[in-house]
Amino acid sequence: MTEVSLLSLVKSYGKSIALKGISLSVGHGEFVSLLGPSGCGKSTTLKCIAGFEDISDGKILFDNTDISRRLPEQRDIGMVFQSYALFPHMTVAQNLAFGLEMRRVPKSEIATRVARAMEMVQLTPYAERFPKALSGGQQQRVALARALVIEPAILLLDEPLANLDAKLRDEMRGFIRDLQKRVGITTIYVTHDQGEAMTMSDRVVVMFDGEIAQAAPPEEVYNHPASERVARFVGNANILDLAVTGKDAAGSDLALPGGGALRVDSPAPWANGRLRVMARPEQIALTDPGAGHLGGEISKRYFSGGHVEYHVDTQCGPLVVLGPTTQTVAEGQTVALAFDPARLWPIPDPKGPAQ
Amino acid sequence: MKRLRASLLIAPSAALIFLFIVLPYITVLVMSFRAPAEGQPYGEGFSLEGYTHFFNESYYAMSLPQTMFLGLLTTLVCLVLAYPVALHIAFASKRWRGFLYGIVLSPLLVGIVVRSYGWTILLGNSGVINSTLRNMGLIQKPLPLMYNDFGVVLALAHVFLPFMVLPLLSALQAMDPAITQAARSLGASRFTIFRRVTFPVSMPGVQSGCILVFVLAISSYVTPALVGGMRVKTTTLLVVDALIDQFQWPFGSAMALILAVSAGIVVLIFARLTRMKWT
Ligand SMILES: Nc1ncnc2c1ncn2[C@@H]1O[C@H](COP(=O)(O)OP(=O)(O)OP(=O)(O)O)[C@@H](O)[C@H]1O
Ligand SMILES: [Mg+2]
Repeated sequence: MTEVSLLSLVKSYGKSIALKGISLSVGHGEFVSLLGPSGCGKSTTLKCIAGFEDISDGKILFDNTDISRRLPEQRDIGMVFQSYALFPHMTVAQNLAFGLEMRRVPKSEIATRVARAMEMVQLTPYAERFPKALSGGQQQRVALARALVIEPAILLLDEPLANLDAKLRDEMRGFIRDLQKRVGITTIYVTHDQGEAMTMSDRVVVMFDGEIAQAAPPEEVYNHPASERVARFVGNANILDLAVTGKDAAGSDLALPGGGALRVDSPAPWANGRLRVMARPEQIALTDPGAGHLGGEISKRYFSGGHVEYHVDTQCGPLVVLGPTTQTVAEGQTVALAFDPARLWPIPDPKGPAQ
Repeated sequence: MKRLRASLLIAPSAALIFLFIVLPYITVLVMSFRAPAEGQPYGEGFSLEGYTHFFNESYYAMSLPQTMFLGLLTTLVCLVLAYPVALHIAFASKRWRGFLYGIVLSPLLVGIVVRSYGWTILLGNSGVINSTLRNMGLIQKPLPLMYNDFGVVLALAHVFLPFMVLPLLSALQAMDPAITQAARSLGASRFTIFRRVTFPVSMPGVQSGCILVFVLAISSYVTPALVGGMRVKTTTLLVVDALIDQFQWPFGSAMALILAVSAGIVVLIFARLTRMKWT
C-alpha cells in the first residue's frame, strides 16, 4: 500500500518518444487503469514503474521517495504479465515460493504463505502441477498469486486478461477486483478494453500517443470526457456540432437543424461560435416524428439481446441510439430523437475556452 | 483410406532409413559374429572372437574409456564455450543476430580435413605457437600441444562448437523474455536468474546439444587421426584400422558395435540424469 507518483515522466527510444511527460498520482490502495489504443505507451509506463526501462526524464516516487534509479529487484513490486511469465520448470508451489526465497523468508513460513496464497486463488489442488498442465485461467491465477504472495507495495498488471476467452475474462475481472479490495494493495492495471477499465477501476487514465488525455473515475470519463477523442475511445459517442444562439452565465442555447432548440450547461462555445456536444446512445430516446428535438430516419436496426441498436440518419449526421426491446421501430421508418439536456456533455474546446 | 495415405507419405523416408541405416546395421551385426580368417576379410562359420579379442587385449579395450573420456571432455568444453555465445546472440539486437549467426556457422563451410589440418599447423612442435614462443625466448623445448588429449579435445571442440551453439540458441530464443523480468520483479539478482531460471529453462537445448556433440566427437575420425597423429587411440581409429588396414571385418564390426552400444548407454544415462518433468 504505497502511493505512486509519476512526475513529468519522459521515455524516449532513440528519436521516438514513447512517453511525453506523464504526471499521475495513485493513492494508497487505489485501483487505477491505464486505458488507451495500441502503442499509446501503457506498457512503457508500467515498465518504467517496475524499473525494466530506464526513464529519460522526470521522476517516479513511491511514498515520496525517489526510486527512479532503483533496480527492479529493489522496488518491491508485484507484476503480472500478459504472457503470465510463469517459470515453466517449477511447479505452482515452487513458482509461488520463488519470490519468498529471494527475500530469504524462513522455510516454514514460506510453506504457510504459499499455502495461503494458493487458497486465495483457489489453486490448492494444483500445487504440484507444472504450468504447462494448467488452463489459461489457472495460469493467470498462479501469476496473480505469485505477484501477491511477496506482499509487494504495488501491484502492476499488463493486460492480464488479454489471452482469456470472453466468459473467463468477465469472471477474472470480478476476481481480481475483489482480491485487490481485500488485500488493499495499490494497483495499476493496463488494458485496451474500455469495459474492463470501467468495471474494475477506481480511476481510469486514458492515454493517447504517450500523453494522458484524462484521469478520472469511470463515470466521469464516460459521461464527461475531456475531449472528443476520449469520448469516442470510451464507449460509443454521438457528437453533434451545433450553433450557439445565446449564452448567459448558466448555460448556452443551441439550435438544432430543423428548428429544434436545446439548452446545455456550458461555460463557453468554441471559438467559431458553435458547440460540440456529446450524447451517449442510451441517453437519446426515439419518439414519434414531429416530437423530440431532431428528425431522422432509421437506416439500420440491430437486436442484441438486452437492447436494440439503431443507426439513425439525421441532419447532424448518422447517430447511434440504444432503445429498449419493448419498442418496435423498423428500418426505414421516420422518427424523431429526444435528448436529455441535463446529460448532454459539451466537449471542452481543445484550444481553451473562447472569450 | 486415411491410414493408407499417411503411410504412403512416410514410405520414402521409411525406405531410406531401412536401406541406409537398418540394413547396414544388420550387416555389421552379422559380420561381427563371423569367424576371422587369414588373407581374406572373414572366414567360414560364426564365432565370438571379434568380441573376446577386443576385451582381452588391453590395447583395444582401453581405447573405449579413452574415447568416452575425450567425448565427454569435448562436450563439456563445447558447453562452457557455447553457452555465453548463445546467450549473447539470443539477446543481441535483430540486426546483429544474423551476422553473429553467420560467424558461428562459418566454420561449417570449411571442410573438416582443412580445419583439422589447420590445427596441426598451429599446434605442431614447429608450429606457429611453439615457434613464436621459442623465438620470444619464453620456452626452450616445444610445448606438447599436439599428439595428445589436449590437442584432440581442442580441435574437436572447435569443429563441433556450432552443434552446441545452435540447440542452445533455439532453446534460449524460445524462452519468454518476460520470465526473466518476472524473476527480477520477484527480487532475483542477475546471477540468481541465470542459475535458477535461464539455465534450467534452456535445459532442453543443453541436453540435445550435449548429446549431439558427444556422439559426433566419439565417432569422429579425421580430427583425432590428424591432430592425435595416431598416438591418441580412439576406438573409431581402431575400427577403421581393423576394417581397412588389417582387413579383419568381423573384428572391426564387433568394435564398431561395442562403440555404438557404449555410446548409447552413455547417452541414456545422461538423458536420465538430465530428465525434465516439465516439458
Ligand atoms: N524497445 C522499444 N524500442 C523502440 N520503441 C519502443 C520500444 N518499446 C516500445 N516502443 C514504442 O513505444 C510506444 C509505446 O509502446 P507500448 O508498448 O508502451 O504501447 P502499449 O500502449 O502498451 O500498446 P499495446 O496495447 O499494443 O501493448 C510504441 O510506439 C512503441 O513502438
Ligand atoms: Mg502493451
